[in-house]
Amino acid sequence: MLLAPSAATGQSPAQARLGAGGVLAYEAASVTPGGGSLVEARLVQPTLMLHASAWRRLRALATLNFEGATIPGGELALGNWGEGFVDRRHPHTYVHELVLSADDLLGASDGPARVSISAGKGFAPFGTDDPMARPFLRFPVNHHLSQILERAVLIGSARTRLVAGEIGLFNGDEPERPGQWPRIGGRFGDSWASRVTLYPIPGGEVQASYAEVHSPEHRPGAGTDQGKWSLSARWSRPVAGHPLYGLIEWARTSEANGFFVFHSILAEGAWTAGRHRLQYRFERTERPEEERVSRFRSLRPHLENSILGITRWTVHTAGYTIDGPDLSGLRLSPLVEVSYGRMQRVGGGVFDVESLYGQDHVWSLSVGVRIGAGMAMHRMGRYGSLEDIEMRHHHQGGPE
Amino acid sequence: MSRWCWLLLGALACGSDKTGPGTDPGPDPTPVAEFHVSGGGNNVPERYSSDLWVHGSYAYTGTWGGALRDGHPGNVVKIWSLDANGAPTLVDSLVVPGIGTVSDVQVSDDGSLLVFGAERGPNAGLLVYGLTDPRKPVFLDSTMVETGIHTATIAEIAGRSYVFAARNPVDPALLIYDITDPADISLSASVPIPPQYGIHDTYVRDGLAFVFAWNTGVIIYDVGNGLKSGSPQHPVEVGRVITADDANHDGPSVHNGWWFHNPVTGEQRYLFVGQEGAANIGSTSNGDIHVVDVSDLTHPREVAFFHLDGAGTHNFWMDEERQILYAAYYNAGVVALDVSGTLSGDLGSRLLARGAPGGPGDTFTWGVQLSGGSLYVVDMLSGLWQLSGP
Repeated sequence: MLLAPSAATGQSPAQARLGAGGVLAYEAASVTPGGGSLVEARLVQPTLMLHASAWRRLRALATLNFEGATIPGGELALGNWGEGFVDRRHPHTYVHELVLSADDLLGASDGPARVSISAGKGFAPFGTDDPMARPFLRFPVNHHLSQILERAVLIGSARTRLVAGEIGLFNGDEPERPGQWPRIGGRFGDSWASRVTLYPIPGGEVQASYAEVHSPEHRPGAGTDQGKWSLSARWSRPVAGHPLYGLIEWARTSEANGFFVFHSILAEGAWTAGRHRLQYRFERTERPEEERVSRFRSLRPHLENSILGITRWTVHTAGYTIDGPDLSGLRLSPLVEVSYGRMQRVGGGVFDVESLYGQDHVWSLSVGVRIGAGMAMHRMGRYGSLEDIEMRHHHQGGPE
Repeated sequence: MSRWCWLLLGALACGSDKTGPGTDPGPDPTPVAEFHVSGGGNNVPERYSSDLWVHGSYAYTGTWGGALRDGHPGNVVKIWSLDANGAPTLVDSLVVPGIGTVSDVQVSDDGSLLVFGAERGPNAGLLVYGLTDPRKPVFLDSTMVETGIHTATIAEIAGRSYVFAARNPVDPALLIYDITDPADISLSASVPIPPQYGIHDTYVRDGLAFVFAWNTGVIIYDVGNGLKSGSPQHPVEVGRVITADDANHDGPSVHNGWWFHNPVTGEQRYLFVGQEGAANIGSTSNGDIHVVDVSDLTHPREVAFFHLDGAGTHNFWMDEERQILYAAYYNAGVVALDVSGTLSGDLGSRLLARGAPGGPGDTFTWGVQLSGGSLYVVDMLSGLWQLSGP
């Protein structure tokens, strides 16, 4: 949308780029908690992105998210959970990312390697990309097993052509509402994460990460701790002239030192031919069943460390997107997604799937239009030397 | 953690689940006696049961609504008649509109009042009923608390009747109500408790209130003892202690307790503290019994513990004359411990009996009470039981 060299001088002048996006979506679910179907039309994922750089090594990245205004009660999404929402995806905080990075701190002294440090609000160096930056409209069930988002972070990273490593400190508590900032005093640094990414072939990458998160669901800090693992392999490169994306991931979150354990496996892919894109995702994820205070909200703050049971969600999602016309810089991409999920209790507990939903499966339909302008959405959660390569090209005015 | 672990690759390699408590409790203890079912059981199939109180030839049990059972919330107090042998028979159900859980139940010593806490609903709070006819409680008064009352403990202090109530988060507090006129409840004091999950239960004896305040630990208040010139209107802190978190590493999770007045030795030395660890309700749980020496009330200190693998403790009752502690133990049912003499370290060898009244898979015991020579047990899954045992 905007590539604006500033008046500042030097070999690498200041630059800034903007992008905006969102999805107007009509979403339906065949069953909901308490029974009955539900249909909603919402503006989801409304975002405004800013990437700025100066003096080559300094970069700022901001992603504003306005779901607090457009979906304050969350997005209808059976299976989704987290931040006090259940069977609805929570709205993100208004400031989704705001990270300053100093990159290539050692210059030429470390050869082709790049060492950087980043600080601000964003993702901890753990897991896979934010679902918002992936081809699907629907968030997977495993969002809170596979990403650690919207924290105050301090991340050191280093990258060579074949391997990258990150380690970060952050506050363990997750947001309670869209307008809330991370709790710095008493919480920053109580949690950490580390991720190693390998780039064995162009377009392919493999990551492994681990995090220890203190009391994510209780801001004052009395909640249970989590130990989280994530392994994934990702492909993003054209094959036979057609853009091809694929991701397989495994995630495991152990809570209360193994008293609760939640697993997830997920595989998704997207194949593009011209203006047309086909996509499919398979997911099998376990989630905690907590006491609800209403159909779509769980009890917050907690009173004790009990759950009602664990359910396993096996979900197939297929979708189709077509790139529509470019209207004076406004990109419109109609899309449709269909999901079929089965719910099953794992182990004991008083939670009963059929008592809550009336059946053990759900159909979901999403029809919408993805709207974008300016810079496309970046891969979130990788900062400094790991920032999206595409993005860095623009920042630096040329390829790496 | 070694500093090398903070190196990038090392950090990954260092990640692992911790296993087991820091203090090894050793092998699971072996009981020397058994509980036997004398009556009751499998008698509340449509709801999950909660707390109980037995007075004379009647018992009252609450119901829990954290999840619906057969579509029913926990909005009922069950009224039981005890026959000549003490066996319970359901005689009526008091349905309370606008609540989802009866969280705690108690009858006044004179049998005239039924008091219970309520959660989940517009009428959550403290409710007081008259028991002129023990089979037909009559509503006298209530006070609403939006976030709910988790427990309510009746105590007589300086000739007046009070209820010490635990207000749930967001702003947890010890609420002290004067119910001397049960038709006109009045608030005497509100004592804020840190929101580290707040206050769960209170034990009041001899003008001292022991507040069980989750990760804040146990807080002891003078509410009429004279030790610190406190009163129900002006509680004064005497001391506090944070018990160990060995069972689950997620904090002390201090839930309930009993201050043991030993008639054999004349000592008032031990406070038994229940740790409510993580649980999958109806299935698994953890949490230990911690023993705190309160010889010096201003400097209480933990001296012993009891641990069962795979299960966690809940509410207590004591046979003080026989020096036996009875503990509800969720999926393990009921535990009886010999607490005579000096208590120190692992109390595994003090286990007298344990039993799961509903059997495996159908036992998740909330509370116990000794009355008329029987041990009454309320189980969330299998209802009210009458047991005999050690």
